[in-house]
Amino acid sequence: MERIILDIDGAGDDQLAILYAQGCPDILLEGVTCCHGAAGSVEQVTGVALHVLSVAGADHVPVASGAWRPFVGNSAADMEAPVHFEKRLRARFGDRLEGFNRPAPPRAREPLAMHAVDFIIDMVRANPGEISIVATGPQTNVAMALRQAPDIAGKVRQIVVLGGCFRTPGNITPVSEYNIWADPEAAKVVLNSGAPVVLVPLDICEDNRVAPSMMTRDDLADLAAGPQGPVTRFVTETFPIYIDIWREFFGLVGFPLDDAIAVATVPYPHLFGMTPPLHVDVALHERLVRGQTVAHRGRQILHFEGPATTRICEDLDGAAFLAGFKQALVALDQGQGA
Amino acid sequence: MTRPVPVILDCDPGHDDAIAIVMAHCSPAIEILGITTTCGNATLDRTTANARRILELIGATHVPVAAGMEKPLARDLVLGTADGPSGLDGTPYLPDPTMPLDPRHAVDFIADTLRAAPGPVTLVPTGPLSNIGMFLLKYPELRDRIARVVLMGGAMYRRSEYITATEFNIFCDPEAASIVLNSGLDVTMVGLDVTMQVLIEEPEFARLAAIDTPFARVVHDWLRHYEKLHRGQMGVGGAMHDPLALACVIEPSLITTRDAHVAIDLTATHAFGATVADYWNERGLPPNAHVASGVDAARFFDLMFDLLAAVDAT
Repeated sequence: MERIILDIDGAGDDQLAILYAQGCPDILLEGVTCCHGAAGSVEQVTGVALHVLSVAGADHVPVASGAWRPFVGNSAADMEAPVHFEKRLRARFGDRLEGFNRPAPPRAREPLAMHAVDFIIDMVRANPGEISIVATGPQTNVAMALRQAPDIAGKVRQIVVLGGCFRTPGNITPVSEYNIWADPEAAKVVLNSGAPVVLVPLDICEDNRVAPSMMTRDDLADLAAGPQGPVTRFVTETFPIYIDIWREFFGLVGFPLDDAIAVATVPYPHLFGMTPPLHVDVALHERLVRGQTVAHRGRQILHFEGPATTRICEDLDGAAFLAGFKQALVALDQGQGA
Repeated sequence: MTRPVPVILDCDPGHDDAIAIVMAHCSPAIEILGITTTCGNATLDRTTANARRILELIGATHVPVAAGMEKPLARDLVLGTADGPSGLDGTPYLPDPTMPLDPRHAVDFIADTLRAAPGPVTLVPTGPLSNIGMFLLKYPELRDRIARVVLMGGAMYRRSEYITATEFNIFCDPEAASIVLNSGLDVTMVGLDVTMQVLIEEPEFARLAAIDTPFARVVHDWLRHYEKLHRGQMGVGGAMHDPLALACVIEPSLITTRDAHVAIDLTATHAFGATVADYWNERGLPPNAHVASGVDAARFFDLMFDLLAAVDAT
């Protein structure tokens, strides 16, 4: 049983990552920590986490609210760019878009009174070598924890970072992926902390090369045809619009499950092709390349200092992953007596 | 007598931090709620030990000390050279501290202290702003319990050939400094423009010698060492950077200020960490700092020596 803390920013695939982690028989979800990011404010993300756990019948899983802003961030105009993108989506999908990135419903319970950073620090210190942190949003919470308590770099089992890109073009700049770009300084802290890192880049999530890992309307039909429960209903009702957006606007065959894929690296590393540990760094400066992930490999004339601690995922057995993902959703409903 | 101003000193002692601590302790205008330490003039373990050494020296061990950030928020550690490797070189008089260290991290200590205080608290950071930046990242809901921030840091390139483009505290952790400046807090920047006008030279050493208490002799040794390091590098006496920032809380009229939007250059090379004040509002952004532009050095030294003379310890 792998013990994980899931640090999310509340977008669609983060929600599926919560369901997958809670339903996966080989994972013990110790807590969900929340970070500002793709779904908006940390309050919204916290509400989403509480709601999805409630759907999963997992109101006992602790939720801690965390960072409200990045270390530095980007210009206001660039930070608002995703909002303008949503306007384009609205022009195409009209009222159907109401189901996309929906505001969290009223909370059935409150998050922990403690900050996400303290939850991470306390859990890792109390269970040295045991806890994997899977961070599927900007790295602000994880970086803050590493800076407040540098000792946890040596006590965490691993940090799985969903972010970056190497072969697949970026989704926020041509070379940068959103999570890293949204707080590049924090990502740099994490990748240079000395802690063992598994990096899950866009290359094995948002690229038709790994099409078998994506969720299609066929998969929703499979779920709808099986026994029904709160989780299957939530997924089949929520995600058609996501599948359509990613097909039409990003040219993918289905909805990519980035964050759930990141979770899967912990119990099922054999499904992945990974590099040996490399030094991976983040470009901070120029807008054009800000947030680019740079892997030090090959031979160069200039030397760059940094710990070779990051294994980059380069391949994924998408079909095996997706089968396990769907099983986990069904298992959640079965656990609730559906 | 108005009520004393409740303050948290966030510092990296450091000779000049040490004197600021002593002044805060001796001034009836200040109530020290706690001291938080950061890396900067020396490593965190050394600055933290130094803060406690100083409190023991002046009999102020009731003041809690909490250790903070070992490194800047997002950068590698940079250590200062103005105080020697211990952060407090130059005197053999100070034994290892025995007073307890608060078990909380500095940012959590600040949060608890602000929550417990009956009214808003003034923060006086005299080192890199890592703790305050981290505090604002972690506890945005407590921002309004901060009355104001009076910080030693920055340089505005005015009237001085020995001002470099970048001041050390901001250079060490420019990201944290940027968070503080953009927080919406009332920030007073006491930078090199004014602190390099309060230099300890021979007349000031003569006044210090005239105090002639055991404590003043310790301070004399510290400042001789500090002055020597300063003079070797810049050809002038030791600048009373941190004491001036603290003195501005006791007596705001010691400095004159100009309001400006101050931005920090996070990406440059030679001007990396530079504080760039927009006095003419070309950026169209509202001012985010009161930038100290002038100082009454004579009155500052009168205050400093009066407070140092009040120490009756050792």
